[in-house]
Amino acid sequence: MKKYYQIMKNTWDEMVTYRLNFSMWRFRNVLQLLTMYFLWYSVIPSNKSIFGYSHSLILTYILGTSILSSVVLSSRSYDIGDVINKGELSNFLLKPINFFYYLFAKDIGDKAMNIVFSFGELFLLFILLRPPFLIQTNPFYLVAFLIAICIAVILFFFFNLLLGFIGFWSPETWAPRFIFTILISFFAGGLFPLDILPAPIFALFKVIPLTYLLYFPLKIYLGQVQFVEIITGLIISTLWIFGMYKIIEAVWLKGLKVYTAQGM
Amino acid sequence: MTSQQAFLSRSGALIFIIGKILRFTFFFLFLILLGSRTKVIVGYSLWQMIFFYVTFNVVDTSAQFFLREVYRFRSYIVSGTFDYTLSKPFSPLFRSLFGGSDLTDLLIFVVSILFVFIASKNLPHVNFFGVVEYIFLLLNAFVIALAFHITTLSLGVLTTEVDNTIMVYRDVTQMGRVPVDVYQNPLRSLITFAVPVGIMMTFPAKAFMGLLSPWFVILSLCLGGAFLYFSLRFWQFSLLRYSSASS
Repeated sequence: MKKYYQIMKNTWDEMVTYRLNFSMWRFRNVLQLLTMYFLWYSVIPSNKSIFGYSHSLILTYILGTSILSSVVLSSRSYDIGDVINKGELSNFLLKPINFFYYLFAKDIGDKAMNIVFSFGELFLLFILLRPPFLIQTNPFYLVAFLIAICIAVILFFFFNLLLGFIGFWSPETWAPRFIFTILISFFAGGLFPLDILPAPIFALFKVIPLTYLLYFPLKIYLGQVQFVEIITGLIISTLWIFGMYKIIEAVWLKGLKVYTAQGM
Repeated sequence: MTSQQAFLSRSGALIFIIGKILRFTFFFLFLILLGSRTKVIVGYSLWQMIFFYVTFNVVDTSAQFFLREVYRFRSYIVSGTFDYTLSKPFSPLFRSLFGGSDLTDLLIFVVSILFVFIASKNLPHVNFFGVVEYIFLLLNAFVIALAFHITTLSLGVLTTEVDNTIMVYRDVTQMGRVPVDVYQNPLRSLITFAVPVGIMMTFPAKAFMGLLSPWFVILSLCLGGAFLYFSLRFWQFSLLRYSSASS
């Protein structure tokens, strides 16, 4: 356990070392947030509700996606494909360290840094913009929200692993990741709350795992989902975790059979 | 040459093209979704919002298509390849700007142009002068994009830092997917004139719709010229301080 804590710490230190890169990355996140924030600010006037969202609810949702993205979508395991392609995976196979725990520890270190910065940014935005923000106080929603976040973190980690495993069969690992990023921006609810979509389309969204990365936890936070819907959502997303775990296990074993440590 | 290299991995190029089409489509659908319920966003109809969005795409993709070589400039600086460029009997600036195009942007560029025509058919009060102003302001937007890319190259020569600068430029210009009227002051003024996203993305569409005063058209062209002039001066300044760090 201690060694994984050290990996977490190293990831943090690494990010502090390359401060400019990280600061720029966060600055870019703020720019993206501002576009959506002001667009929604204009779309729903302060005294009106559209799509079932009031002014304060939608702005809480948009600001919430920013914080939640820092927790769920920040990751250092995006270079698994390169690790495989360069043959560096051999190091992990030989050393007394679990490759997956190693990656997860790196992710946690990255998330910790992103969370700290995202709270700092939002604090500044709150001072400058003074947005109406809903503070959830119901303990049930808060607990369910935390559980949903944990599930989202694991789901995203599994997605990253699967995308990285493409490296076993192809050197082209960045293009699929590019497409995945675009899919997430839409299907996870980063652009807008998914329930503003027509009902039949939204019903389909409820069964895909991307919905549980941002949209579902945020809806819980907003207190806009009933008890039964929360339980159903948590069950579906947990089933996805088990399903993806099985897929990852199968792909990993198949990948190792074709792994040639190219580049070593 | 570089555009041929981009297609060395055909499957990768295909995935990138699909990704760019999806990105274009998703935001387009989002606008339609908003327009279906709200009818008017900051005083603009759905078709006007679409026109702003496709105009943004025309400017954005044309800059990416022609100026993609800038994204590779850092590797030329740190590897010493830029020394070789300097020793050649052609403009190092021209080579560094236009040395490679990205064909994956071509499709979105064509689709955007197509949507400019479709959206323009659904806009009221379009006249000949509006169209002429639109074309001039689009060219002006490209000039400003060019100036920004020259500034990025200059910073690259001085500091070897290119990637973050260009990505910040990309994100700032992404704010132009919607008209700058959406943003509140002082942010609106900042991204209209200081970081001229408004001049690049919003003003051409506004001129087309007859919503831009001729004085703003002239001001935009003057600012475009000024940005280009100062970026070229900065390029000269940076070249004089080039230390060929790799050699």
